Amino acid sequence: MTDSELIDAVNEVFADSFEIPREKLTPEAQIFTDLGLDSLDVVDLVAAIQKRFGVQVRDDERVRAIRSMQDLYNYLILIRGEQKKA
Amino acid sequence: MTQQEAHRRPILWWLPIVALNVSFWIVAPVMTLIYGCGTVLYATIVHYLLRNPRFTKRVIRRSLSYYAAILLRCGWPLVRVRFVDFDPGQKPPVVLVANHRSSSDGFMLAFVPFECVEILNIWPSRLPIVGAIGRVAEFLRVREMPFDEFLEAGSRLISVGCSVIAFPEGTRSGSRALGQFHGAAFRLAQHCSVSVVPIAIAGNEKIPPRGSALLRPGRITVTRLPPITPAEYAGMSPYQLKNLARDRIRTYMDTIEPGGGH
Repeated sequence: MTDSELIDAVNEVFADSFEIPREKLTPEAQIFTDLGLDSLDVVDLVAAIQKRFGVQVRDDERVRAIRSMQDLYNYLILIRGEQKKA
Repeated sequence: MTQQEAHRRPILWWLPIVALNVSFWIVAPVMTLIYGCGTVLYATIVHYLLRNPRFTKRVIRRSLSYYAAILLRCGWPLVRVRFVDFDPGQKPPVVLVANHRSSSDGFMLAFVPFECVEILNIWPSRLPIVGAIGRVAEFLRVREMPFDEFLEAGSRLISVGCSVIAFPEGTRSGSRALGQFHGAAFRLAQHCSVSVVPIAIAGNEKIPPRGSALLRPGRITVTRLPPITPAEYAGMSPYQLKNLARDRIRTYMDTIEPGGGH
């Protein structure tokens, strides 16, 4: 999966789980303030991401630092790289 | 405007504010003290006479609504409150969700004509007298309990017919802006299959302003909008439901406060 495909897949998770219009899913969009997700929505989001990408991110401390869509893309790209190395 | 009028204007501008605050901050603490003593006495008598804890809780919860109604009248005529109801036949229990501009929002439970509790932030539950009575009435301190515990406590209240009032922005905006909504109250409504009733509160962003106790004169309008029924929100995620309620409030605010930046 290329970076571009991964970004599309993340946007698909947002569109499917929360029905957020794709035009709102820009890299600079803030997950909490612009998209309106709260801490409980994030729990749902993490579950959807784990299911979609087959990764375990629930206990990863780095997830707490994610604020924007770009942060999320970068994090998942990083995770994918770590998985390849392992 | 003459120079003399220009000099006098600030004093005239301050006069109603001084009058309002002097009268309110003298009357309100006295009323709170009378209310606190009266409620404790009345609830104790009711408890020992009827031996019915459920009824006692109901008495305490309704008394908080009456207390809120009294406090809202302490500012009259410089603060006037109008209630608009789009669904007067509403049957409890429901989850009421309101926008949150000022600390006076908490007193809007005066307009809920049935037994209810509020979901509170940390500081209101620590207020003397009212905070203590709120704890006895089982007001939900959402920041001090895990979500599962909140859901369980909220479900228990709804199951006995008690409605729940929430301010899903979580904190006062202090302006006309409408913040993003938190989903806990909506998840509770979905869990219990009860209607969500959006409440629009307008005009109180400076009664009092955020970070101040200085009340400003004004007119507050509290509007109970048509409910979002379980049939209407069936199949929606909590995220969609909270945004639907937020949109209903924002759309209504746009009609009564055009250009308000909601």
